[in-house]
Amino acid sequence: MSIEINNISKQFGKFHALQNINFNVPSGELVALLGPSGCGKTTLLRIIAGLESADDGRIAFHGDDTTDKNVRERQVGFVFQHYALFRHMTVFENVAFGLRVRPKATRPSEAEIRRRVRELLGLVQLDWLADRYPPQLSGGQRQRIALARALAVEPKVLLLDEPFGALDAKVRKDLRRWLRRLHDELHITSVFVTHDQEEALEVADRIVVMNHGKVEQIGSPQQVYDQPASPFVYQFLGNVNEFESRVNKGRASINEVTVDSVEHQSVDDAAALAYIRPHDIEVLKEPNGAPSFSATVNYIHSLGPLVRLELQRQDDERIIEAELTRERFLQLQLIEGSQVYLQPKQVRVFLKH
Amino acid sequence: MSKKTNVLPGFSLSLGYTLLYLSLIVLIPLSAALIKTTELSFSEFWHVVTAPRVMASYKLTFGASFIGASINAVFGLLTAWVLVRYDFFGKKFIDALVDLPFALPTAVAGIALTAVYAKNGWIGSFLEPNGIHVAFTPVGVVIALTFIGLPFVVRTVQPVLEDLESETEEAAASLGANRWQTFYKIIFPALLPALMTGFALAFARAIGEYGSVIFIAGNMPMVSEITPLIIITKLEQYDYTGATAVAVVMLLISFLLLLAINGLQWWSSRRNAEAIE
Repeated sequence: MSIEINNISKQFGKFHALQNINFNVPSGELVALLGPSGCGKTTLLRIIAGLESADDGRIAFHGDDTTDKNVRERQVGFVFQHYALFRHMTVFENVAFGLRVRPKATRPSEAEIRRRVRELLGLVQLDWLADRYPPQLSGGQRQRIALARALAVEPKVLLLDEPFGALDAKVRKDLRRWLRRLHDELHITSVFVTHDQEEALEVADRIVVMNHGKVEQIGSPQQVYDQPASPFVYQFLGNVNEFESRVNKGRASINEVTVDSVEHQSVDDAAALAYIRPHDIEVLKEPNGAPSFSATVNYIHSLGPLVRLELQRQDDERIIEAELTRERFLQLQLIEGSQVYLQPKQVRVFLKH
Repeated sequence: MSKKTNVLPGFSLSLGYTLLYLSLIVLIPLSAALIKTTELSFSEFWHVVTAPRVMASYKLTFGASFIGASINAVFGLLTAWVLVRYDFFGKKFIDALVDLPFALPTAVAGIALTAVYAKNGWIGSFLEPNGIHVAFTPVGVVIALTFIGLPFVVRTVQPVLEDLESETEEAAASLGANRWQTFYKIIFPALLPALMTGFALAFARAIGEYGSVIFIAGNMPMVSEITPLIIITKLEQYDYTGATAVAVVMLLISFLLLLAINGLQWWSSRRNAEAIE
């Protein structure tokens, strides 16, 4: 069941939470709405669910306009960041809730309800917790129960609002992999909101990057990471170093260092911002002839397989971050205070507007 | 097994103080009533406490208190709901108004209610021609007891209602529950323990109420005479043992009722409580 989002706008007082949002979620995909807090991603999710209404625009499920239907009629499964389980009901009753509140005509028999709930608890691997109450469960277990509860009503689409936001790092990682596997099994069209780029890159088929109530870019994790459409997307997905730069006929210069910038062939001498990822910086002990920045090593953070260097440029004293493999680091024999030469391996240039 | 240490010291000191305080303020006066009663033989005691006029007064006191507390449970919940869930002009004022029955001297309340419901009062003048008698009947007693009990229900339910996550309601709606189902399956069970506490407090307060009732009740023996008034009457007739005998019976019934309500409350909140981490 696909989701079509057409021209959605929403205003809270004078604040534009969402401005002309347009995109489709193809049937069976797992899509992440990614953005910093306050970018409108949760509002958009709640509008898709029918928990909130848009000022303007329409939402359709598989071509079927649902804009004027309320949350009860939309048949969406919604998972909340803080689980929102019914604490006075057992896990079993929580999952059964959606079936029990159906009108008599469509309500399954008691035996059928039992079978379905057992099946769902099996799916989330928590059938042994059926008789417990929500406060007796851990955060990860609660969120899995919340998911089972949402799936019980056989929703057309599954919407998850920062589903792993309240969990600790280890559980969060386990659970998101588990969600990915579950999605591969069920193929239910799903949208989840997150502010964690790593989570979005790892789990989603497609990422919708949002900022200030607008869509910045839509694409596969690979696309948004490798071909960011705007400086915002570039900065939001991973660490970057930002440089003031000038672009002239396909060449971008950062002080003395000049690099190719093929996408700006037709630009005549314009101010631009150049971005370099920390792992796209080559660190050298001696200059090798090619243009480079000279810098001093300020700090060395060596934890795990990557070593992070905090460097200070000698020309304008700005801080640059670089990442190297442990092997390369040992080869270079760097210590704090070492004099090094930095060469950008890959630069991304955006014109200033 | 290691000894459990508390952040704050002085458990034994504070417990000792609590017991001493409760003894001085509550237990000693109550046991005095019990001891005074033992001056009567059992048959005398039985004769005093089962006299028809006294029996009628028990029925009125406990019956009217129960009805009053029940009315408060319903309308107090409604008031708390409106005060928590909606924003409207004058909300603060209404919120303050709820406490008025706490602060008002009960005699003032009694006089005011009587003035309103009497034959020539604002409301009474409409009701009386239609054959509805409020002042000087048990109905008046119920009204007075409802009046004084209202804040208990509102003030116990209000904070719980404020703390209720709106997300659970949204979750219920997204699962297909209609508003009524969301209320009675999700909201009401969460409010029930607080509602029962409020009911118990309003009920207890109503049983002991004297000042506001005696004006509007008319105090006709066998009809609209409450037990606290019987006790006062006996005291005024220097029948101290008789007064304490009736008092002891009231004490026992109140105690048993509150115990029962507490038991019910424990039962209803057990699921929530046992599960708290």
